[in-house]
Amino acid sequence: MNRLDRRQLLISGVATALLASRGAWAQSAATFRIGALNPITGAGANFGSGMQKSILFAVEEVNAAGGAGGRKLEVFAEDDQTSPNAAVLAAKKLLEVHRVQAILGTWASGVSLAVLPMTNAANAILMHTSGAVALADPKVNGKKLGFRYQGSSKHLSRAFTTAATKEGLKRPAVMAQNNPALAPHAEGFRKVWEANGGKLTDFVLYEPNRPSYRSELQQVLRSKPDGIILSAYVADATAIVRDWAQLGTPMKWIIPGFGANIDFIKGVTPEVAEGIVVVESVVNERSSAYARFSRQYALTVKQAPENNVYAAMCYDMVQVLALAIEAAGPGADAVAVAAKVREVTTGKGQSVGSFEEGKKLLAQKKAINYEGASSSIDFDDENDVDPTFAAFVIRAGKWQRSYTING
Amino acid sequence: MDLLWSDYLNLALNGLAEGLLVALPALAVTLVFSVARFPNAAVGDFVSLGGFGALTAHRLSGGSLVAAAVGAVVAGAAGTWLGWRLAFAPLLKRNGLALLLTSIGVGFVLRSAMGLGFGHEIKLFDLPLMRAWRWGPLVMNPMDILVGAMSLICVTLVFALLRFTSVGRTMRAIADDMDLARVVGIDSRGAMARMWVLSGVICGIAGLAFGLKTQVSPESGADLLLPAFAAAVVGGLGNPLGAVLGAVSLGILQELSTPFVGFTYKIALSYVVMLLVLLWRPQGLFGRVQGVR
Repeated sequence: MNRLDRRQLLISGVATALLASRGAWAQSAATFRIGALNPITGAGANFGSGMQKSILFAVEEVNAAGGAGGRKLEVFAEDDQTSPNAAVLAAKKLLEVHRVQAILGTWASGVSLAVLPMTNAANAILMHTSGAVALADPKVNGKKLGFRYQGSSKHLSRAFTTAATKEGLKRPAVMAQNNPALAPHAEGFRKVWEANGGKLTDFVLYEPNRPSYRSELQQVLRSKPDGIILSAYVADATAIVRDWAQLGTPMKWIIPGFGANIDFIKGVTPEVAEGIVVVESVVNERSSAYARFSRQYALTVKQAPENNVYAAMCYDMVQVLALAIEAAGPGADAVAVAAKVREVTTGKGQSVGSFEEGKKLLAQKKAINYEGASSSIDFDDENDVDPTFAAFVIRAGKWQRSYTING
Repeated sequence: MDLLWSDYLNLALNGLAEGLLVALPALAVTLVFSVARFPNAAVGDFVSLGGFGALTAHRLSGGSLVAAAVGAVVAGAAGTWLGWRLAFAPLLKRNGLALLLTSIGVGFVLRSAMGLGFGHEIKLFDLPLMRAWRWGPLVMNPMDILVGAMSLICVTLVFALLRFTSVGRTMRAIADDMDLARVVGIDSRGAMARMWVLSGVICGIAGLAFGLKTQVSPESGADLLLPAFAAAVVGGLGNPLGAVLGAVSLGILQELSTPFVGFTYKIALSYVVMLLVLLWRPQGLFGRVQGVR
């Protein structure tokens, strides 16, 4: 037998490499491609990397269970910088270069509002955790390809009204950041509060990223409210509450959980935070999905899972998406998959806590209802979930569960 | 609700505090512009860098504000000096647009590097919260007084340096006419480098002041960029005193406008003022007409 000379060796090497890469390419063409578009930096940075890691380990779980609809899931991760501009560029790359069929885990409303028209145009799915009511608008989500895993502003507004009533507020004031999620949330609160016969002493919208909010705060305090509803993210909530602490006027604060998280408490100091009421959607603690999610989250992210309800939502997104792909059958496109989402999450099917469980039942042609880690994941006609909220009181630097509020 | 005179005075005090904070980056913008002839869009990111330098030194020294100031100055100056050596010096002969675009790029790189190095979560100086000082109905935050004093001292020192030292004189000479300065034997590259270091020192102190008042994050300084530009333009680009006065007057005007235009439009107000000033006095309130060479 002739020995291979160098040229032949080179040619055969290149040929093998080409074949191998074609093989890899063929394999990836048979995957269902997902974009993980999360707020790794910017105002959502406290939650973003936990969200992205949750998507990744949920996908590993699905792939370990043999994939969905005969396909493995493949993830392309991007940072949306909690900024619509950056998010649009990243979404464009995900949709046009990586050809993803679903984008998961946009967090800020401004980001989701910017990305949804793009996923719609590409007939791709968008699963997000944003509160803006506008995301359910038929003009925006007419194709029903957008799914919300977080309570919308309308749910949050109702939860806040309940909390304000329970806290015994008679004449509260509202301070809210002027952005597409927080301003409508504050407006929603005003509407529900006034519809119930309540009065507000003042209603102030402020711009984010200011070096100080003292003037805003002084105006609100002049109206002598007995409590302030503060619809803010961590940075502005910290600045405002610190300014208030320096003024020394006693006040009851009600703040959403995404504004009054662990970094907020550290920032304003536990002494100042003592007694502040926090309203947040709560995870579905008793579900088996939550048990599995929290174990994996603690292991992978090395943080307490209860501090990141959005990560639980992202975990659910992957499970639901995989179940819908499985239900839609091999080769289904994103539109067909989206049409199956309600079928596997909402309704009278047998309750399942994981993709693996659901896959087995689907194979037996049984109806299923996914019970999620973040909520029971039941979508209404607008593709919104209706999560449970709870009020917490900050005691010694920690959230203490006070009472449950049904959105 | 009727506002009392004291409410307006409180608003003016808040505006003064904010204005003094913006004065430092505005001074840095105008200084670079006067000598290097381009608007430095990385100023905000050098401010953030100064903030991280201050915070790191503050933590390492166990809470010394002097150490924080040293850390801020070192980080800011090192940042701008490196920026000068690596990015701006090689482009010295290019026009302002190339340098402006370069500064945007430098800003991006810096911001991302700080994000990687320090993370994006909010960081605060570990200082006890101080109660506000009250004189009757007037309220002043001790931290604002500290920050304002720091800003004033820094501005005074910079003016003294520009006015009374040979370093300042050479800087003013090359700002006036680079070629003429070179002809009379001024080392223009050296003066440029010193100008960059000085602007870094100012940014560093601004980072410390901003960090003490608010928080330190890779993005925090960038939020100061536009107000600083507006202040520098209103005061007359290239005029250090104008930048400081521009920042203070815009800050006060902005807060005093809130009872009439509300809090969401007060920011737009400084740009409206900037436009009006440009229409009425294109050289800025304190600038002088210059021929373009």
